[in-house]
Amino acid sequence: MTHETINGKPVHSAAKMYADEFKAGLLDRREFLTRASALGVATSAIYAMGGLTQPVHAAAHAKQGGTIRMQMEVRALKDPRTWDWTQIAFVGNGWLEYLVEYDSDGSFNGWLAESWEVNADATQYTFNIRKGVKWNNGDELTAEHIAYNFDRWAEGEAEGNSMAARVDSIVDPETKKAIDGAIEVVDSHTLRLNLRQPDITLIPGIADYPAAIMHPDDNPEDLLANQIGTGAYKNDSHEVGVKSVLVRNEGHDWWGYAEGKGAFLDRIEFIDYGTDPSAWVAAAESDEIDTIYENVGDFVSVFDSIGWNKAELATGSTIVVRPNQAATDADGKVIFEDKRVRQAIAMCVDNAVLLELGNAGQGVPAENCHVGPVHPEHDASVTRIPHDPAKAYALMEEAGMADYEFELHSIDDDWRKNTTDAVAAQMRDAGMKVKRTILPGSTFWNDWTKYAFSSTNWNHRPLGTQVLGLAYKSGVAWNEFAWSNAEFDALLDEANSIADAAKRREVMGKIQAIVIEEGVTIQPYWRSIYRHTRPGFVGTDIHIAYASQLYKWAVEA
Amino acid sequence: MGLFILRRLGVMILTAICLTFIVFFLTNLHPNLEKLAKTQGEMRMSDEQVDRWLANRGYDQPLPIKYGEWLGVWPSKIIEVDDGRAYGRCLQTGVSIADTPRFCGVIQGDWGFSTVFKDEVSSIVATRLSLTGKLMFWVMMLMIPSALLIGVLAGMREGSRTDRSLSTVSIITTATPEYVSGVIFIALFAASASPLNQWLASMDWIEGRTLFKGTATSAMENANFNNFFLPVLTISLYGMGYIARMTRASMAEVMTAQYIRTARLKGVSFPKIVVKHALRNALIAPFTVIMLQIPWLLNGVVIVETLFNYKGFGWVLVQAAGNNDIELLLGVSVVSVIVVLITQLISDIGYVYLNPRISVS
Repeated sequence: MTHETINGKPVHSAAKMYADEFKAGLLDRREFLTRASALGVATSAIYAMGGLTQPVHAAAHAKQGGTIRMQMEVRALKDPRTWDWTQIAFVGNGWLEYLVEYDSDGSFNGWLAESWEVNADATQYTFNIRKGVKWNNGDELTAEHIAYNFDRWAEGEAEGNSMAARVDSIVDPETKKAIDGAIEVVDSHTLRLNLRQPDITLIPGIADYPAAIMHPDDNPEDLLANQIGTGAYKNDSHEVGVKSVLVRNEGHDWWGYAEGKGAFLDRIEFIDYGTDPSAWVAAAESDEIDTIYENVGDFVSVFDSIGWNKAELATGSTIVVRPNQAATDADGKVIFEDKRVRQAIAMCVDNAVLLELGNAGQGVPAENCHVGPVHPEHDASVTRIPHDPAKAYALMEEAGMADYEFELHSIDDDWRKNTTDAVAAQMRDAGMKVKRTILPGSTFWNDWTKYAFSSTNWNHRPLGTQVLGLAYKSGVAWNEFAWSNAEFDALLDEANSIADAAKRREVMGKIQAIVIEEGVTIQPYWRSIYRHTRPGFVGTDIHIAYASQLYKWAVEA
Repeated sequence: MGLFILRRLGVMILTAICLTFIVFFLTNLHPNLEKLAKTQGEMRMSDEQVDRWLANRGYDQPLPIKYGEWLGVWPSKIIEVDDGRAYGRCLQTGVSIADTPRFCGVIQGDWGFSTVFKDEVSSIVATRLSLTGKLMFWVMMLMIPSALLIGVLAGMREGSRTDRSLSTVSIITTATPEYVSGVIFIALFAASASPLNQWLASMDWIEGRTLFKGTATSAMENANFNNFFLPVLTISLYGMGYIARMTRASMAEVMTAQYIRTARLKGVSFPKIVVKHALRNALIAPFTVIMLQIPWLLNGVVIVETLFNYKGFGWVLVQAAGNNDIELLLGVSVVSVIVVLITQLISDIGYVYLNPRISVS
């Protein structure tokens, strides 16, 4: 008999509700998979509950052994909880794995945690740690090890620890450490988390790339020295900016072999060709690489033309072109204080044009609220303030800012620069004055939250509430909008305690409306992401959250 | 002569100290330190986290003290953080704080640690300089003989058709910067979409899809004609035209000299006049120019190494500057000063041997 849940327990009542919603057309496919699997329903059962057919895995075509060479920026490794580039995770994931795996279809699957249970109001999570998992130093993986990691993630004071925000529901706001009793080791392979408030983003949070599980004996500051991990590979050489090589850890019996997870390749090379895509094309034509980390802009068609295979995926990754509401100009004037100014800027921009000019039409237009169709709780009935340049200019005049020259910053790259240029052009068309400033990547990020008016790219996150909590909530570190709105904060807290998607959608609709009405940002489109691979390899599809999933990569049989 | 070299060495050390202090001052400006903290810590750190990061690593000390630590004339501070970690430039893994030496600067032979590459500055500079050395060697091998040949051929009969066509070629190559010629070469020889490559491929005359490779990354380990020719050609062409023009001018002048006319009147054959009588005198001027090309090549490679993804000295300079990697930048500056002043020294000494009328002391 096959289990309906990943832990053999009865199916969570909410999951059955989702299935009904899905069949009634209230949830789309990805939303349904995400919600149900976060509640611990086995993936096969989810597909059955929703009346779906499960996609066949490519593993059947994979050959054991071989080498792949990927173009990727090679960055210095550092403490996993401070990882700020997914490229770092690609190297670290050779030997460091995660508790939970997020898949491109939106589902969450057990990885080092074989399964988990969530109580009805999402305040208690019980993880069943996979049995028989060995660290490559010979130790057996236990719940103690996992508890050590949660403790580390909860350290809010640690420099650059971005995990603290993801496990905020176990962090004591006073001490900035894990609350006593929040992390409970039940037995050698069971770990329970008692949250201080309901949290539906915990599972997505610990499936994210900085949540790699470390061994307590290893030194997080120097990952390459010992490389204690549970994964199938180890690092052979790592030269920042040049090349990093993962090779199969021959002496280590990876748990995934027995489970048929794969890890087909013997050797994975990451070669750094800088950030200019034309250099990647040159490398591809010179037969120096087999796949690229991510393809961008016009180069999608260039790689198509040299005969490489394209993997395409629509995501929740996007760009915001936003005013900073606290920013002042040289005269001390708070530029975007007036709501009408912000609305006018959003109104004079046609999002479909930005998608076409900025991202070569690769994606779907969005509604300026940073919640979209890929998110389970998205309310599609809430739409942007209509595009109307004439009205926008009138509004700007009303606010007395029609003659003001806005300075619009962006990073110097392909799609972000082009999108921002298109915003400036449309503002000028509407009669406003705009000065464009383009900064190189090495300096742009120094002040990214402080520019008065600039564009920032945001990666995909599984739930709609997540980015809102990271960047839109009053006073949070990444609130580049300098926006603070008590009503929004209250609604977001409310949304975060509702496990049911349909009910949460009611709240989310209000949230979306506030973000749009306040003219917080232009959020023009959702990007599709691409990766090209030389024919002859399988499983290298790009992941919705840029997870590495090295174990899927293989030479075609 | 000995005194002259000693004096030059003194100037070199003084220049290096002045230059590194300027670099040190600029890289230690607060916005730059903030950038360093963010690239090393986490890109989206808050201001308090940045300040703590800088204080923990001693970046908040006064500038002269930090510079003294780097030089090795001021004892290096060891900062112990409450969570048991300690930071300081003298610390080494496996050596207790009590046993750590107090001075560890350049004078003690410790060039510091690169924050971007997480490696010793000395080993990074050594590896990258040797890669650039390899590139420069082949550039010289291509550039000098071809430049001298073109210059001599053009200068031996001033105003002739050969002179005019060769002069046109050398002016064009010198007038084309590397970032233009490099891109043209890649588009022409290293893109499978270029008509040349499609024709060659259709005739089955080339093995792969392109004649040359548009990237020199693989040339770092294993350089061959295929992957190394384009970057070498790009740098050489630019310098070649310049040296050729100098050689031509010098050659043309020598060819009008009295003793050449005498030789011709005596009935010596023209090739013999050029090779035996004119050449040696004509090569004095180009010698200086060639020596001056070496430091110039050091910065010329910045563009070409970036264009062809060849990770040498120029690339390290770009990375160090872009990431505000203080100690690596200082190391790069010192090496540049040494390279420039040593080549000048060699050219001054070489001049004496080529032209006995000049003396240095």
